[in-house]
Amino acid sequence: MAPKFEIEDLNAWFGSKHVLKNINMKIEENAVTAIIGPSGCGKTTLIRCLNRMHEITPGARISGKVLFNRVNIYGNGIDPVMIRRKIGMVFQKPNPFPMMSVYDNVAAGLKLNGIRDKKNLDEVVRRSLELANLWDEVKDDLNKSGASLSGGQQQRLCIARALAVEPEVLLMDEPCSALDPIATAKIEALIRKLAENYTVVIVTHNMQQAARVSDYTAFLYLGELIEYGPTKQIFENPKHELTERYLTGEFG
Amino acid sequence: MKKLDYYRFRIIKDYVAHFLVYLSLVAALIPLFSILYEVVQRGISAINLNFFINPTPTVGEKGGGVANAIQGTLITMGFASLIGIPVGLMSGIFLSEYSEHKLSMVIRFFNDVLSGIPSIVIGVFAYALIVRSIGFSVIAAAFALAIIMVPIVTRTTEEALKLVPLSLREAAIALGVPRWKTVATIVLRSAKKAVVTGMLLSIARIAGESAPVLVTMGYWRWWFASLNRPAANLALNVFVFAMSPFESWIVLAWGSALVLILLVLGVNIAVRVLTKERY
Amino acid sequence: MSRIIDSGLEELSATLHKMGELAYRAVLAAIIECVENKQVYSEICEISDALVLMADNVEDKAFELIARFQPVASDLRTIKSYMKIAYDFARFGRYALDVSYTNQKLGGIGNCDAWMISHVKEMGEKALKMINLSITSLRSHDAQLAEKVAQTEREIDKMYFDFLNKLIERADTTTKCAISSVLIVRYLERIADHVTYICESIIYIATGRKVVLR
Repeated sequence: MAPKFEIEDLNAWFGSKHVLKNINMKIEENAVTAIIGPSGCGKTTLIRCLNRMHEITPGARISGKVLFNRVNIYGNGIDPVMIRRKIGMVFQKPNPFPMMSVYDNVAAGLKLNGIRDKKNLDEVVRRSLELANLWDEVKDDLNKSGASLSGGQQQRLCIARALAVEPEVLLMDEPCSALDPIATAKIEALIRKLAENYTVVIVTHNMQQAARVSDYTAFLYLGELIEYGPTKQIFENPKHELTERYLTGEFG
Repeated sequence: MKKLDYYRFRIIKDYVAHFLVYLSLVAALIPLFSILYEVVQRGISAINLNFFINPTPTVGEKGGGVANAIQGTLITMGFASLIGIPVGLMSGIFLSEYSEHKLSMVIRFFNDVLSGIPSIVIGVFAYALIVRSIGFSVIAAAFALAIIMVPIVTRTTEEALKLVPLSLREAAIALGVPRWKTVATIVLRSAKKAVVTGMLLSIARIAGESAPVLVTMGYWRWWFASLNRPAANLALNVFVFAMSPFESWIVLAWGSALVLILLVLGVNIAVRVLTKERY
Repeated sequence: MSRIIDSGLEELSATLHKMGELAYRAVLAAIIECVENKQVYSEICEISDALVLMADNVEDKAFELIARFQPVASDLRTIKSYMKIAYDFARFGRYALDVSYTNQKLGGIGNCDAWMISHVKEMGEKALKMINLSITSLRSHDAQLAEKVAQTEREIDKMYFDFLNKLIERADTTTKCAISSVLIVRYLERIADHVTYICESIIYIATGRKVVLR
């Protein structure tokens, strides 16, 4: 199986601050890859480089290659907008559009890209909400505001919204850090389910969460990729001393 | 014992603070209500059916109304808004979306300067630019009023858009929505209420402007004829009638003032209703 | 809601059931060998090796579940007990192999007195029945059934001592038969002990009580 992403010599900066240093890694298709590391190690920047969200911050730039399905997304003539439709993103804080209903939130990606066929939209909304394990909870409240849902439901709504545009990859930036343990468990179960058909890359500052949901784990420290491998191996038998010390709580 | 004293002192402080707050509130409301009271009390006697259907009376003529002035004011305001709101809105969007852009710094500075220029100066500018070529006209007045509107709309739009959380823009951008569409839909929709309020403020502001209208429109006591001719105006009515020696005209001035206030109030209420949050 | 740890636990329990079946087959083969004088050493050897390997896998998987999913309460009890049960099943394979080894090296009891053969056969059948029931109770974490199964262990113990007494009393058999038969009934008795350990583990999973059933 070919990897979904091949990251080659990726460097990223905010202004003069060098936040990612020579990252080389391959991300497997239809698997969950977790990125862990202490605060400020570049985890979030790394996944924002995967769908070209890094560059929307003023002063941000990168060098190197990110091959997505063997094509460099930073190559000439690549439209970042198209890349972002293929590679969806879920953020740290649930951010449903507050002025839209549950239905419109899920349909937003399609509607804003010009798809108006009601029947088609209905179907996509339903399928996306079912996929996000949210349909049963909101099927009678589709016209309620997205902001009226609970935090965990809002986050699943955001996942449904991202799924509605039929991406191949879902990037998740600490998706549970604002949620309680029950809501977190639901999202984690959902991530496992999604991994059957999607490539998921999740950033988390909670290493237990990385252990639970991921198939592969990458440990980042001060912008460098220290260790990367199957989650079981990273957590039971890390090769690098820094990883061992971070996992056992000696620093971080 | 000491503790109790301290507690009492705190209670007293609390009362004093409360009192001052309510006092300020009353002080702020007194002028508003006294103006309203005065205008309604004196203007209400002018109000009758004729007042709303007849145009300006000729000298000595009994009765007469402000129908033509309402018509003229609405047309002038509409035309001014047509110029001022789009320009202000777009500048506001530019300032908020390209906040760091060099041009933004320049625009922001001159926008601030513009909002501080006395309206009569703007009126004179419009006079020099337009009245001297096509004469006193609705176009000239609307142009002057639009210049007054632009900095207000720009500033309020910029502030409103900047309040929209970054997370919402990112959510839209991450869905593969192009940037311009993100701004035009998600960002503007989120800030809709504040943006419309800014427009409303600017409309309310120009509704009562009389100085620039005086130097660009001139006096007209007939029905609206054409955009390149003058039109009647409520604010000018107040100005002209109030200084006239005729008792019946002075009543008309109060009536015009009342209509002007009701107009502003009406615009306010209408926009409130239109922008009422669905959720 | 199905939890992420559930699939790991299911995987563990599936491996365990496979081990139970293999262990049963090994013991069955060993008893048939004794009674019918068949050669099945290499087959049992294969099964025993497989069981040891599987027990190791269960331990690895259990460690992974502990390292990755923070099991608590019944999950933790289950994982701990599954590790022990896997070891018990591996022991069945080992004892079956020992029985078969005895047959190989010492000639077995196939040609010994009929009473010996029938005694071993009876004890073997009882042990097999215990194994079978323990697998059933493991499947549903049935504490009551486990407790009942453990009762049978006393019967096997009694049969073991009866056999020894009878052997001493009669003292008319060959040394070869005596040694072989004593070793074999001893192994069968040990198998029954391990079934009891399994039952104890099942009760621990189901109720959280640590019991000694022997």
